[in-house]
Amino acid sequence: MKLKSGLLLVATLCAFTVKAQTTNYQVYSLYVVNIAKYSSWPAVNGEFNITVFGKSKVYDELLKQKGKNVNGHILNVKQVDNLNDIGQPEIIYLPDSKSSALDDLLKLTEGKSVMIISEREGLHKRGAGFSFIVMENGTLRCDMNSTELEKRQIKISKNLTALTNSSI
Amino acid sequence: MRSMISCSIAVLALTCYSLQGQDLDSLMNLNAFTEESDLQKMLNKNVSVSSQNLSTRETPGIISVVTAEEIQNSGARDMIDVLRLVPGFDVSQDLQFVMGLSLRGNWANEGKVLVLMDGQPFNELLYQSVAVGNRFPVDAIERIEIIRGPGSAQYGGSAEYGVINIITKAASSLTGVGVYGTAGLHKNATGRTNGGVMAAANGKEVSWDFSLYKGKGIVSDQLYQDVFLSADPVNLSKTTTADPMNINAGFRYHGLSIRGMYDRFKTSDPQSNVSFEMYALDVQYKIKLSDRFRLTPRIQYLNQIPWYYDYPETPETDFEVRAVRQLGQVDGEYDISRKVNLNFGALYFTDKSTDLSVDETLLSLNNVAIYAQALLKHRLANATVGFRFEKNNKYDGAFVPRIALTKKIENLHFKMLYSASFRSPSLQNVQLDTTGATPERSNVFEFELGYQFTPEMLLALNAFHISTRDVIIYGSEGEGDDFNEWYESYDKSGSKGFELVYSIRKKNWYSHLTYSFSQAIADNAVDKYAIPQTSKQYVGMSAHKVTWNTNFYLTPKLSFNPTFIAAGKRYAYGAIDENEELVVTTLDPYFLANVFFNYRDLLPGLTLGAGIYDILNERPGVPQAYNGGLGAYGAIPARSREYVVKLAYQIDFKK
Repeated sequence: MKLKSGLLLVATLCAFTVKAQTTNYQVYSLYVVNIAKYSSWPAVNGEFNITVFGKSKVYDELLKQKGKNVNGHILNVKQVDNLNDIGQPEIIYLPDSKSSALDDLLKLTEGKSVMIISEREGLHKRGAGFSFIVMENGTLRCDMNSTELEKRQIKISKNLTALTNSSI
Repeated sequence: MRSMISCSIAVLALTCYSLQGQDLDSLMNLNAFTEESDLQKMLNKNVSVSSQNLSTRETPGIISVVTAEEIQNSGARDMIDVLRLVPGFDVSQDLQFVMGLSLRGNWANEGKVLVLMDGQPFNELLYQSVAVGNRFPVDAIERIEIIRGPGSAQYGGSAEYGVINIITKAASSLTGVGVYGTAGLHKNATGRTNGGVMAAANGKEVSWDFSLYKGKGIVSDQLYQDVFLSADPVNLSKTTTADPMNINAGFRYHGLSIRGMYDRFKTSDPQSNVSFEMYALDVQYKIKLSDRFRLTPRIQYLNQIPWYYDYPETPETDFEVRAVRQLGQVDGEYDISRKVNLNFGALYFTDKSTDLSVDETLLSLNNVAIYAQALLKHRLANATVGFRFEKNNKYDGAFVPRIALTKKIENLHFKMLYSASFRSPSLQNVQLDTTGATPERSNVFEFELGYQFTPEMLLALNAFHISTRDVIIYGSEGEGDDFNEWYESYDKSGSKGFELVYSIRKKNWYSHLTYSFSQAIADNAVDKYAIPQTSKQYVGMSAHKVTWNTNFYLTPKLSFNPTFIAAGKRYAYGAIDENEELVVTTLDPYFLANVFFNYRDLLPGLTLGAGIYDILNERPGVPQAYNGGLGAYGAIPARSREYVVKLAYQIDFKK
């Protein structure tokens, strides 16, 4: 009886589905779009493509920007679950849960002007162009791998460089 | 103000942003997390009781934080009211109507719970006990951080089961002047009249603070009949006192901080007067050797006359022993990287006791301790590994390791904690030892799971298992000239149980509901704690406790705060049978209902509060927490319904 009451209490509390303080993917999305805006690719044919690899709430936020103008190009956002479906977007967003796929993505896009932005901290050291970092005060910043970006012929504006937490 | 501006900028950026109009610099102010609720702001605040300044939900300990707002709204009369609302805590009697703390079903008065106020220890040096009651200046408190678990690895041999860290307003947030007063009235007696004044200026480079607290009170307003029926019942409102006094002053200039404190607590039972007196001086200097490396040398001097007692019927003072501690410490903190932090240090202290009646040194203890704690913040969990080793010239050393894994993942947090802890034999423990003084040691396992169902709501459940070895136990027999007392070590004691905390905080109201359950371990060997009725509870302890503290802001200025505390039955050595042998009686479960109203800014800075404590007049007795044998004390009959009035006035200095 006590167990049932306990389970009932937990179930009742679980019924509250309002989000508590959680990761604010709107801010992540904002960063991604601004990185796109303040970077330049050797050539963008038609639409400006951002691909989210795997499932992430950031995709829902990026979708809200779909169709907007990024440096003269229409922004297109898509989400794929399979490496073979990635194609050649300008930006690949790598969610935290897919971090282990970084090496495969680097191989797949080697020599191509594709920027990889990782949600997990520190992956810029392993080849991502940008990786997010949450500071002690909770603000979101990003670290940059300028060597890798140069290798991929992606230029970053000075304004954006000044915004990064660190650069290698 | 700065955080408010940043927050406003962030909100503005989020609501107004467009691809073309986005100011790149404003990105730097955006938070990676959704906006904090009021509850989250409290939960996410770093606690100073954690050496690495982690938040409540990530600190490697089971933590409760009580704020000035909660104390003021509830109208708490003293620390007993505050701590009774915290899971696991209760109050029991030691000797001579001196009340101490019990925690998680264990008597926790001597060396078990470290009580600090503005960094100064209130555990006296002779026995390591802390007398509670009408003692602490609750209306001058900014925050109380409570570790409901072992703290020895960090705090040493007085924190075997827990730590209570009291931070006063003057020493932390106040920049101004404040005065406050409390009056408690029973039907036929004045329960207490306490008051204080505080002044402080908290600057970036220079800070100072001064506070004075003084009061007059009684232990109870009820009739007391001694256990052995050796005297007629006495009216405690006429024969007992509980008079506090505290002077506290601090000064900080850049890294140098100095704090001096004087505390005196006079209390009494129907036959004797007891007092605790303490002077403390603490000097620290924080040296920033680099951005990553900080070193803090510290010296501390404590001079106490605790447990002074006198039977007025006899011509001489019955017990007057001075205890002095001189301590030198160096504490270091090194941020190896953004994710790895190391805290380490060493200290040396001497404790000396002197019998003032014959001016004779009784004992001198020389102690040395080293400690270290590393924190690794990993994305999967925060790992804490630490230890403390303390060695003494009179007894064996104690080595206590500590391992903890904690993490907050979105709405969920967990804590897996193991800590060994110890209680150092104190001056009198060694002086009166009969079985070879050795440190008491505990192994404590704790696990906590918390979930935030909404930004305003948190449910946390923890389970614990405490196993204590070489338990240092007090014994006494006889009275008058035949009185004899001693300490001896028993094999094992401890408890297990769980605690549940449900907190909700909305704009106009908040509520904390808690339940705690504890049970004696199966192989308890301390017969002085055991009772014939059950092996699952110790004498004086309740197995179940429910607390409910809710505050409603009826208007922005007026609040209404009912509190309820229900505890299960307890047992006490409180009577004698026909053969005049001490027997254990059952104390009925009790239900305390209190209510308090507060009106803020009656005039600018003036707060008036009024309420009733123990509305139902339950008067739950405070039993002795062990079998006192021939010196047993009956449960102190608790105060009757008390009408409480509080007045506080604060003026802030212009910035």
